[in-house]
Order: sequence, then C-alpha cells, then structure tokens
Amino acid sequence: MDLSLGPDEEQIIDSARQFLTRMLPVSRLHGHAGPALSLSDVRLQAVEMGWLAIALPEELGGLGLGPIEEMLVFREIGRGLGPTAILPTMLAAHAAALAQSPLADKLAAGEVGCALAVPARGATDGDLTRVRLYDHEGATCALISGKDETLLIDIASLPLTFRPCLDKSVSMADADLSGAPILAKVPGKQIRRRGVLALAAMQLGTAEAVTAMIVDYAKVRTTFGKPIGAYQAVRHACADMEVRCMAARAQAIYAAIALRDELVDADLMLDAAFALALEAAVRNTDDNIQLHGGIGITMEHDAHLYMKRAQVLCHWFGSESSALDRIARASLATAASEAEHV
Amino acid sequence: MELSYTPAEEAFRLKARAWLAENAPREPRPVDPYEAGKFDRAWQRRLFEGGFAGLSWPKEYGGAGLSLFEQVIWYEEVSRAHAPGLNSLSITVNHAGPTLIARGTEEQKAFHLPRILRGESVWCQGFSEPGAGSDLAALQTRGEIVGDEIVVTGQKMWTSYGHVADYQELLIRTDPGSKRHKGLTWIICDMKAPGIEVVPVPNMMGEHHVNMVFYDEVRIPIANVVGGVGNGWSVAMSTLSIERVMSFLGDQIELLEKCDRVFALARQTRLESGKLACEDDDIMRRLARIKAQALATRAMTLDNLSQLNKGGEAGAEGSVMKLFVTTATKELASIVSEILGPDFIEYGTDRTSNRWTYDFMWAWVLTISGGSSEIQREVIADRILELPRAR
Repeated sequence: MDLSLGPDEEQIIDSARQFLTRMLPVSRLHGHAGPALSLSDVRLQAVEMGWLAIALPEELGGLGLGPIEEMLVFREIGRGLGPTAILPTMLAAHAAALAQSPLADKLAAGEVGCALAVPARGATDGDLTRVRLYDHEGATCALISGKDETLLIDIASLPLTFRPCLDKSVSMADADLSGAPILAKVPGKQIRRRGVLALAAMQLGTAEAVTAMIVDYAKVRTTFGKPIGAYQAVRHACADMEVRCMAARAQAIYAAIALRDELVDADLMLDAAFALALEAAVRNTDDNIQLHGGIGITMEHDAHLYMKRAQVLCHWFGSESSALDRIARASLATAASEAEHV
Repeated sequence: MELSYTPAEEAFRLKARAWLAENAPREPRPVDPYEAGKFDRAWQRRLFEGGFAGLSWPKEYGGAGLSLFEQVIWYEEVSRAHAPGLNSLSITVNHAGPTLIARGTEEQKAFHLPRILRGESVWCQGFSEPGAGSDLAALQTRGEIVGDEIVVTGQKMWTSYGHVADYQELLIRTDPGSKRHKGLTWIICDMKAPGIEVVPVPNMMGEHHVNMVFYDEVRIPIANVVGGVGNGWSVAMSTLSIERVMSFLGDQIELLEKCDRVFALARQTRLESGKLACEDDDIMRRLARIKAQALATRAMTLDNLSQLNKGGEAGAEGSVMKLFVTTATKELASIVSEILGPDFIEYGTDRTSNRWTYDFMWAWVLTISGGSSEIQREVIADRILELPRAR
C-alpha cells in the first residue's frame, strides 16, 4: 500500500508546470504578454512533452506510462489554465492506436487535432444527430465516447453551428454527426474512463490553483489594519477550500491506481473522484471570487478565468449529478445483494 | 504507487478476521454507563488474550506492535465484523498508554502499561475546564507542591468515562504566577483519592458518559508527574498529536460502513410522496456525495499513512481528517432524518429507542469534542495554509 508520489511522479509534475508557465502563461488569456502559440504550435509542444501519447504502450509509439502520469499532467494543465484541446487529442491518439487506425500517427505527432463531442442536452448516449463540440477549432476529427464505445468521426467538411463559449479559450459548436465518416471505433469504455480521469484531474488543478490564489492574497491584502487572512470568515473559508482539494486529490490518485490495476471497483472510485473534483472546482472558483472582493469580478483578474473554465468543463463528461447517480446505483445494488445474502 | 497489501498484511487480515468471528461479543454494549464500563474492560481483556491489545504499542511494552497499515486492516475488519470499539478504553489505550511510553518513567511504565493492556484500569482525561475547552491553555486548576506531594484544587469538565475511571491524565497549573502554556504539569491522578468528586453531566440523548470532576485538596505523590514539573503542555500535546493521527482511524473506516447502512435504509423506507427513498434523486445524490466523501476519507487516510510510512512527520493531517469525517457524518445523519420523516422524532430516553436519532445527536459530539470543527479550521489555516494569525 503506497499512495505517495515518488521522484518520477514529482518530475512529471515539475516539468509540466514549468512548460506551462513558460510557454502558455495564464496571462496569454488576457490577450497580452507571453509568446502567443497557435493551436498547431500548442499541439507540437504537447507532442514534445510526450503528453499526447503519455499512456500509450511503447510499441504503439507512446511513452508506456499510465493513468497516474496522465492524471498528473492534466492536473497541471488545469492548474495553469492550459489548452483544453490536449484532452480530446490525447484520447483520440489513444483510441486511434487501439483501433489500429492510420490516423494514430498523425494524432500522436500533433499533425491533426481532435475535438470533443458530447450528446446535446436531452440527446441519448449513442445519438449522433445532436451533438455539442468543444475545441473544434483547428480540429479535423471529433471524439465521442459513450458507455459502450468510443468513435472518432471526421468533421473536416461538416457544417457546424458556432456557439460562443463562456471560457474564451474553448471553442464550441453544435453539429449533426450522424452522416459523417467514422474514422475509428473502440468498443468498451476504456477511453471514456481515461477521459473522465483526465477531466477530474483538470478540475482538481483548477480547484488547487484558486485555493493558492486566495491564500496568497489573504496574506497581503489588508482591511481594518489587518491582513484579511487573519479574519476567521476568510480563514475558515480557505480551510474548507483546502480540504475539498485534499479529498479530491487523494481520491483522484486512488482512482488512477485503481484504473491502472483494473480493479473491480475502479468505476466507483473514478465516479467518486469525478464528483469530488467537480464540486471542488465549482465551489472553490466561486469562493475565490467572493473572498477577493470587488477586484475578483473584474475582467483584468484571473479569478473569473478559473470560474469559467470550471463551469465549462462540468459539461465535458456529464454533470456531477450523473456521477452521483452512478455512485447511488452501484451502492444500492451492493445493498440489495447484501440483503439477499442475509 | 500501489493499492494492494503485502502477503504478510493479507495474512494478518485473515488472522484478524478469524479471531474477530470467534471472539467479538454478540450482545450489544449495555446502555447503563457502569455496565458499559464493565463490558469495555471485558472486551479489552479478550483483545489482550488474543494478542490484539495496544495495536500501535511497541512489542517491548506488551503491545501488538502493528505497522500502520496493519492497524488500518484491523479497523477494517472490526467494522466488517461489527465488533465494538474501545469506547471507555479509548483514552486509556490510545492516549494514556502512548503518553506514558513516550514520556513516563520506568516505574510508571512498569506499573501502568500491563494493567492498561489487560483491561484492568480505565483512564479518563482531565484537560478541559468550564473556562478552558477550545482554549485549553486557559486552564486554572491549581497544583501546589507541598513536600513530595502536589495538592490539587479546582474543576475539570467534559470528563468522558470519569465515573468508571481508575486513573486520570490530569493537567494542572503548578506555577501560580504562570500564564498560558507555561507552568503546567501533567500528572497521573488516582480517581479514588480523597477529595475527588465525580458529578455526571447527562447528554441530550438521555445518556451519561461525560462528567464534571471536582478536586478539593487532592494529594497526589509528586512521583506521579509525567515529563517533569512545568512541562505539562508538551506532554499533553504529545498525546493530542497521537490522538489526531491515529485515534480517528476507526471513525474514518467506519464512515463507509455507515454510509452503506443508509443506502440499505433507503431501499426499504417510503417517503411522504409514497415512493421509496432510493427513488428520490435529491436524497440519493446527497447520499452519493457522502459515499464519495467516505471513499475519499479512505484514500486520504491511506495517503497520510503512506507519507508517515516513508518517514514523514505527522503534521496537521489529523485536523483535516477530523473536520472532513465529522462533517460528513453529520450530513449523513441529516439525510437519515429526511428519509425517516416522522419516524425520526420517535425517541424515548436512550439509544435503544431509536438508534438513527441517537446517531443524529451523537454527530454533534463528533463535531465538537476533541477540538471543534472551528478549531480544526484554525489549525488548518495556521499550519497548512500559513495564514496570518488572528490570535
């Protein structure tokens, strides 16, 4: 039994954090400062970092690492408000390799990008006629990952209805994918599981980033002659933010190991990690704005960027409620089988 | 990074499981506070005979000398077997014993440790006072050094199991001019000494387990001082850090079991609307959130122990765990009240009339005793976030 990170894991965290701070600083989202990278440049950088194929087996051109390393990288992307498009592109590279699609090499090399497709509100799992696309700009295909299978669909020549997204770093559109060519198909839910874990990790990173942001501010901002961090109204709210992060972090690590080892309760662990991470991100980005006071609602501040990111990511792999519903169903099933035993 | 246990640890699990199946008491713990004390002593005696007394204590002091993860496994098996906790022996085994091991003299250890392990002596804690609860350093109970004795006068409060205890970990002010953390002394007090009066403080559930203790010139041999006169604060804090890291382990592991019991309740309880509670999305989501928190509790516990196992120092993790587990337990109790509806308010004079309602009220004991949630948030703000201090 060992849930602690080792030196290899710490190094993955460090290099991801350094890369994001140097190449893709949060200030880029205010439209100034820092080297501006195009979407294709970002993909190439991600390839350089090994992120797109981090968990692919070496014989398929990957780094041969696993869900833990993948989770750690996406946590840093969340923390630094990094490019969300890395997530669907990483999943697509994985799916294409498993399906032995010729697209695999292009995706892994960053030559093409992939959007994330999710059923539109009210559409059922597997219905391709009404689909919401995220990060379709610069993408030629879309990944749609249901509970039974994952599809890679060609969207290069598809009519899309552009939608303005709350998070300006994310592009968003509606589409009908039902007639579009299917490029690859992977049965089962292994790709979806990786997506859910990576998303939980991004939300965790978001929650951690804003906790650090308000704690730093509370040490320097003064009111009534004292730093605001000396007032219990602020201290206790910060403590609650930190505890939410700690719970979400420990559960994300646990779920990543459970996924790596294919444990029987991996889905339950993953749903719990997902629910806790979304809750932490939504509540902490909210508290961060509130505790900052007036400056927290201005466009020039970073606080709203994190709030918007957290809100947008809540729609990528289903809501927190959908994860809670799965946890309830699994727990009720266990209770039912135990009742039969007695 | 690894979630599996070693073959030796798995072998320990099987041994613990088999022993508990054979030896865990089948009858419920009595409600009567004195009978409950006898029940706890008998259970401790049986644990001792089975080699499961003093789980964390080193073998050289007669303990089980279990590793951190073996202790986790033990509590998992206790929860699975629905075996009793230590209850009135909890302070005794988890605080008094480890404090004596860390700070006691050879004579003190030789006399007390075997008695504790065998279930022959129950200890209570004499720290809090009417004017010193969350702010422990404000305590005023005086100890005057007269020859080779310390004469104690004052009052302690919230003394759990004081009515069945043989000894007390007593924290007193021995330097009359001292303030706050200085001038305190930690002393072993014989609860049968003349001048001690134990007065029950019944709780809102209708039961008695805490007491007020009055001291009227109680004479205690100076040889009973642990850690030296004037060093009481550091001795008391060594107990509290042990308390915070390990003594909530049982509660942490128990939360999953409690959560699953409520899922079972929801399957068979109808709401006012006529549908089953398990068909109500709102109730089920609230409950699922607690289940997620219970799983995270387990993950955080294993994470903390992984760090300690690698030689890390115990920090404020205990405060995080206490705050998280007790807050979740309280929310779980309020979900139960919603599921049960009018059945929730059917309550007689003690826990036997309605265990769910008893647990609902007990949840306040958890969020207040051993450092309230507000104090735990202060500790987290100070020690983890390093925010400026208000105090």
